[in-house]
Formats: sequence, structure tokens, C-alpha cells
Amino acid sequence: MKRMICISLLLMFLTGCYDKVELEQQSYNVAIGVDQTDKEGTYEFTFQITNPEVGTTSGGGSDEEPNETVTTNGSDILTAMNTVNSFVSKRMTLDHTKVIVISEELARSGDFLQIIQAASRTTQIRRATQIVVSKESAAEFLNNIKPKMETRTHKYFQYMITRATQTGIIPDASVHRFFQITEGDADLFLAIYATNEHEEKKGEGYEDQYVAGEIPQEGGSDTQFMGSAVFKEGKMIDTLDGQDTRIAHVLDYTLDMDELLSTYPDPIRPEYRVAADYIQKTPAEVEIQYNKNKPTKIDVTVSFQIEVLAIPSLVNYSQNSAHQELLRKAIITDLESKANKLIKKTQEEYGSDPFYWSLFIRDQFIDVPAYEEADWNKKIYPNADITVSFNLKRLAFGKMLNDTNLSEVRD
Amino acid sequence: MFHFFKKAKKANTQSKPQKNNDPIRSSLKHNTEHIKQLFSYGTNKDFSYRDLIAKYNQKEMSLFYYSSIVNGDKIYEAIIRPLLEAEGNELKNVVTVESLTEIKDFDEVIEHINSGKAILFQEGTAIAFSIDVAQFQFRSIGKAENESAIKGPQEAFTESLNVNISLVRKRVHDKQLITESKQVGKRSKSEVNFLYVSDLVNDDILNNLKKRLDEINTDSVRNVELLEQYIEERPYSIFPSIHYTERPDKAASYLEDGYIIILMDNSAACLVVPVTFWSFFHAQEDRYLRFLYGNFTRAIRLFAFYLTTMISATYVGITNFHSEMLPPDLLLAITASRERVPFPLIFEVLIMEVAFELIREAGIRIPNPLGPTIGIVGALILGQAAVEANIISPIIVIVAAVSGLTSFAIADVSINFTVRITRFIFIAAAGTYGMFGLAGAFLVWFMYAASLKSFGVPFFSPLAPYFKSPGDTVFRKAIKNEIWRPGNLLPKDLRKKRDSTSK
Repeated sequence: MKRMICISLLLMFLTGCYDKVELEQQSYNVAIGVDQTDKEGTYEFTFQITNPEVGTTSGGGSDEEPNETVTTNGSDILTAMNTVNSFVSKRMTLDHTKVIVISEELARSGDFLQIIQAASRTTQIRRATQIVVSKESAAEFLNNIKPKMETRTHKYFQYMITRATQTGIIPDASVHRFFQITEGDADLFLAIYATNEHEEKKGEGYEDQYVAGEIPQEGGSDTQFMGSAVFKEGKMIDTLDGQDTRIAHVLDYTLDMDELLSTYPDPIRPEYRVAADYIQKTPAEVEIQYNKNKPTKIDVTVSFQIEVLAIPSLVNYSQNSAHQELLRKAIITDLESKANKLIKKTQEEYGSDPFYWSLFIRDQFIDVPAYEEADWNKKIYPNADITVSFNLKRLAFGKMLNDTNLSEVRD
Repeated sequence: MFHFFKKAKKANTQSKPQKNNDPIRSSLKHNTEHIKQLFSYGTNKDFSYRDLIAKYNQKEMSLFYYSSIVNGDKIYEAIIRPLLEAEGNELKNVVTVESLTEIKDFDEVIEHINSGKAILFQEGTAIAFSIDVAQFQFRSIGKAENESAIKGPQEAFTESLNVNISLVRKRVHDKQLITESKQVGKRSKSEVNFLYVSDLVNDDILNNLKKRLDEINTDSVRNVELLEQYIEERPYSIFPSIHYTERPDKAASYLEDGYIIILMDNSAACLVVPVTFWSFFHAQEDRYLRFLYGNFTRAIRLFAFYLTTMISATYVGITNFHSEMLPPDLLLAITASRERVPFPLIFEVLIMEVAFELIREAGIRIPNPLGPTIGIVGALILGQAAVEANIISPIIVIVAAVSGLTSFAIADVSINFTVRITRFIFIAAAGTYGMFGLAGAFLVWFMYAASLKSFGVPFFSPLAPYFKSPGDTVFRKAIKNEIWRPGNLLPKDLRKKRDSTSK
């Protein structure tokens, strides 16, 4: 008996330490870039590896680059990772990958779905990794990211994406959500749109009516994250600007947004705009009445609050109730027209919605085949009769009610 | 290692002690010669005797004693002077001592002389008189140095049985508090005293203890530290099964809960049986502090318990096997600091843990005047110098320091060793299988602990298995709400709180 126990205890040590690896023997990949090549089935993979020694106090490495960006060809992410080892000294790990960047060209070609499959198989790529579509090639995009304040790129991506998602100008585009929506075969997936290439938009644009690259900018890092790339069935079909992305956030039950500072037309002096903080405490309420043979009815109610931040026109909205009523109407009308415009575009151009509304109709079918037969993308949504109503619960004016009386100041 | 799982073999081979059953004769000359021979008079410098002729009956008498362990003044004042000067009809009316015993054989004579009594032989009488004049030297009552408390009594036991019993009786004014005694040791006989409150104690536990004391078969057991190892159930176990404390107030509180206290001469501490994990986890001060404060220290101690066993092992496990679990900034910081370190990470951790244990051990053994050296050397090993020499990475210093520091929060000497040994087991487990191994090792360790019993009382009772108790386990209740005695001991009287009006 003793001998048996002894032998079985010793057996344990036969397996010992097989996947043990010392930290310094690994190199940590922060971003993966995927580009098209001329050959079908072969892609160009770019890996951005962070340099642990930069940004620590442990001495040495201070004159080294904060990261190493390498590009190679391959057919999928994981084998390319091994090829890279011919010029990267350490074993690569993708555990800490923050973003997967794909070029717009590749995204529009529709090959992305095949490449990203690897992410669902390997344990190395987290489901929370964000998908970014870059206007230029991904290799170029990653090579040109030069954060001014953050030494390490992973920190830059983390802060940049978290903050931009909070303001709603870019969507939450995790790999998980991509698979969820794409495999669900309904709705549209919104990926983050970003670029280093600037091409200023002609004509007027308000604070969020841009896509990345169009925002007038001086100084700072060249990289702009703004708007979203629309994916239908794994293939990119269009881009949405920041404003439309925000509207998508407002209407989508599953997306969160913390802060939406925006301007609305001033109803009394149309040359000015009123700046306000849009606060939405509850997600949009979506009610779908499915009709098999006539257009489905979708009713969306959004309850929100407005805190007015600035009234450059100095019109007294705070204490004049007639003016206030005008402002109230103006804000609602503005939001409703923006939302309706986006919905119309999605119905007519995209044939599906980026709001994940199919979630609300699924429970009206007996089983999956019945739901698939009804076909959200082709039959239900494009023909649906959609009404969006915004419900302004509270209009607040900040801590000071009166603005400066111009005629008194300038006498 | 299989001994860990096995109870110690019971010692059954009772060797027959040599008996010196010579009866005392009536001839004083014979008795004197015999006793001189027994104690090697002349060679044995402090063995003294005195002849005299008693005034009250004009008979020759001889007095034998060890001059080093008796009170000389008392012998003079209470024995010799009355014998020489006083009138009377009987010896007991002549000598002015508080205790006078008649003994009949030399076996008893030897025992009495060894325990500090003077033996008086009388011509023509076949009995001897034993007079208690013992005065063993001992340290005066000091402060409890190893179990110090800020709030609470400061007295500690000292190396004298009588003083220790007096310290306990001073706290427990209960006529049912019994001091029972047994002799252990075949050659040098020592007295083991066990104290209990007779209408609380569980008789099974008491009989179990008596049985184990009877089974001790050895020449001598000098003190409770040695006695502990003779009466414990599992000598190879990593967990202690008998509690050791130097605080009389702690002993008193155990007595009042139905536990048994064991005291001996030559030990500035007592043993408490039976024991549970909680006895080791608690400090007496937890009860002296108010409810919230006491529980706060308990929370800290629990956290320390977790950290000291787990932090090094967790660090090894996560960094070697699960680097994806680390936040990127920490990961990069550790990686950067390890770039120039030549050793594997587990080796680094072991270096520091062993260094810490070395400093600790050396710190205890080093003579007081050399004490400060330890600080300097220790700071060098554990500090910046080792990091700058690229032997270890700076994060290891923090891990080892936390692991070492938190081990001091576990004050009990015995459980402290348990925890320190456990730490190394866990490091090895985490080093071979990562968090999986650590979880497995912890499970085995915990299962073993839960399977233990001390004098029939489960180690984690009254929490698991559940018993009615004062609720004093991880945290404690407000003292007014403690109604029951620990039910896991099956005390004769379970209810602690007489007042039934409030609850």
C-alpha cells in the first residue's frame, strides 16, 4: 500500500512544469494588424510588441524604442506569429492584445471573417479585444501610432478606446460582439474607425459629424478615432460618422455611453446653437409587433434628460416658460430627425440595423428555424414601420440661471 | 511521510521500574548508613545531614536533606531549634512546621528528599518523618514576552508550579477548580498537575489525558514542552494538537470553558487540551478589546493568514503559468525587472524565503549584544543590495517582505511553524502546476486539517462540524451575547449565561 501511494505520488512529477514559462522569455503583443496582399489566401500580418523595459525605473533600455512593430506574410494569425519568430527573439504571446486592426480594403473585401476565426479557437486572443478598421493599411496605421503622452502603446489603446467609447463617438467593438452579431445573421456590427491620414472635410460640420481623419486638428498625436465601420455579414459596407454612432448608442439596448455633450439648434436665434449634456439613465425601450404579411411595427421610446451647458445666444430659456417650451421642442425634433435619418438610411441602404433590435423579436418565434425563415435582414427590418419618440424627462440649466445681460454690460 | 497520516504507536512495553522497597528499620545506625550509601554521602557535596539529641525524649535523631533545595532558616527555626530546646510529649507537638508526614520505606525517602523535604530518623522508630522545607529557586513573575498584549493583564507564568497554580487560582475563584497531579518519569520523577473545573470538564477528555499520562514510559519529563510531545496524538503532523500559552489569563479563560490546563515545574507556560484551530488563531487580547476593535484585529489576522501562506505561491503560480492574468503594466514591470536576473523565478522566491527564515532563526539565537548585526545583515540580504547585484528582482523583495511580515501576525509559536512550512509546500506546488497545483495543494492541506482531532475534538469545530458555542471562531460576538460554552467539548454545563431575562 505504502509503495503504491509512493509510486503514484512520484508519477505526479513526470508531468511537472510542462507549460511553465518565465516572463522574460515571452514578448507581449499589443496590437495585431491584418492587410491584404496580391495573393488570395495570403495576408500581411503586423504585430506590435511592447518593450517591457521602456517606462520602468529598473534601468537600462531607456534609449530603446517603446515597441517593435514587425510585419510578415501568412495565412492566419497564429502561424504568422511563429514566422515572426525568425526575427523576433522571444516567444510571442497574444494574451495582452488590445486591438486587432484591419485595413478598410481588407474589411470591404469580406475576407476578414475567415481570418478572425482563429480568434475564436485560440485561448490567446481575448474576446474583449477591440476591432479597429483603419482607413490606410493596418501596417501603416500601427507604424505611425506615436502617442505623445503614453510611453507604452497598450496604455494608449486602453485609454483612447475607453474614453472614446464613453463619449459614444466610437462603438464597443469587441471580437465577442462581432461573432455574436455576425453569427446571429441579423443586425449590423459596428467596428471602430480610425486613421492617421488627415483629409479635412469641406463645408460645415458640428462637433461629432465627422469620421476619423476629417476632424480639424493641430498638434497632438496624428491618430484619430472617430465614427464606425459598418459590417454586414462580416463584410464592411460603409462608415458612420460620430453623430450616427452616438445615435446608434442611444437606440441600442446593449451599448453603454457615459457622456454625450452635443449642440442643438437654437430655436429663437438660429445662427447659434445650444450646448447641452444628454443624459440617458435607462436604455431605449423597444417594442416590436411582428406582422407576418404586412410591415412589422417597431416602437422605440427613449427617455432622456438634458442639462443645458451653454447658451451663446444669451436667450433667456431658463425662466421664460414659452422659450423653454420652444427649446424643448427643438431638442426633441433635432434628435428625432437625426434618428429617423439614420434609420431610413439603414433600412434603405444597408437593409439591416446597427441597433441590435433583432433581440426584441426573437422571443416571438417558436424556434430558431422559424426566426430564420422570417429573415430579419431581408424581410422584416427593411420593410418595418418604425417610430422613434424621444421623451424629455427633465430640462436643467446648470447652477446659474441667468446669463449676462449684454445690454447692461455694454452700455 | 506516511507517519503524518498515522497515529503514533502507543507505548505498551511497560518496563518494570527498579524498586528500592527496603523498609525503614528501627536501628538509627542502619538507617543512617543505608541512606548515606543511597545518596553517596561525601561525594555528593550538597547532601547534608545532622545528628542531634532531642530534648523532649532524649533520643538520638538524624536529619537528612539537600542543602541546595531547602530553606536553611526554616530547618533551623522549625526543626533543629525546637528539637534541641522544646519540651513536649510527641514529635508533632515539638517541631513547628506546617507539614509533617510519616513514611515507611526508603523508596519514599528518596522521593521526598529529591523534592526538597527534610527526612528525620529517630532511634528506635521504624518510621521516618518527612518535613516540607523545600525552597526551589525560580524566576520572579515577569511580563508575557511572547504573547504580549497592549490591553490586558501582563503577568506570565514562571518556572514554579506553585506560583503558576496560584496565578490561575487568583483568576478562577471556583471551589470546583481541581488541581490533580500525576507523576511522570521513571528515574527523575516529575509532577504533572492538571487543572480543570470538575463540574464543567468532559470526563472522556479527562480520562483520555490521564491515560496518556500513565502511558508515558521514559526516564524523565522535565517540563511541559517535552510533555507536549509525549502526550500528543500525531507527532509527525504539520498541525499542533496541543495549545501552549504563557498567559495565566488565557489559561483561566480556557478553564472556564471546560478545557484542561496542564502545568509543571520548570515551565513558564501551560498546555491546554483539547484544542481547535481557533485556539491558535485567537489572541487573548481579541477578547479584551471591544467588539469592533477585537473583530478588526481578527480580520487583519485572517488576511495575514491568507497572505503569509499564499502570496509567494500565488506569485510563482501566476507569473510562471498564467501571465495572461496579470494586468499589462504589472506584467511589463515584472518582466523588465527580471530581464537581467539569472535565476528562474521560483528560485528567486526560494532564495528570499530562505533568507528570511535564516534571519529569523539567527535573530532568535543570536546573543543580545550582537543583536543589531542581524538588522544590518538582514537589510543587506533582503534589500537593495541583492537587487542591485541582479540576484533578485525588486518585486520579490516586496513579496518576501509581505510574506514574512504577515507571518508575525500569527503569534502562536506552533501554528506559526505550520504556516511557514505550509508556505514552502505551496510554493513547490505552484511552481510545478501553477494555480491548479496551488489549489490542489491547498485542498489536500485543508482536508488534512479538517480531518484532525485533538483529544476527540474536531479541529475546525465548533464551526464545522457545527456545535453550540460562544460563536467565537473567525469573528466573535459581543460578549453579552455569548450564551453557550464551546459545545464541541461536550462540557457538563453548556450554558454560560445564567441570566435568562435578556435572551
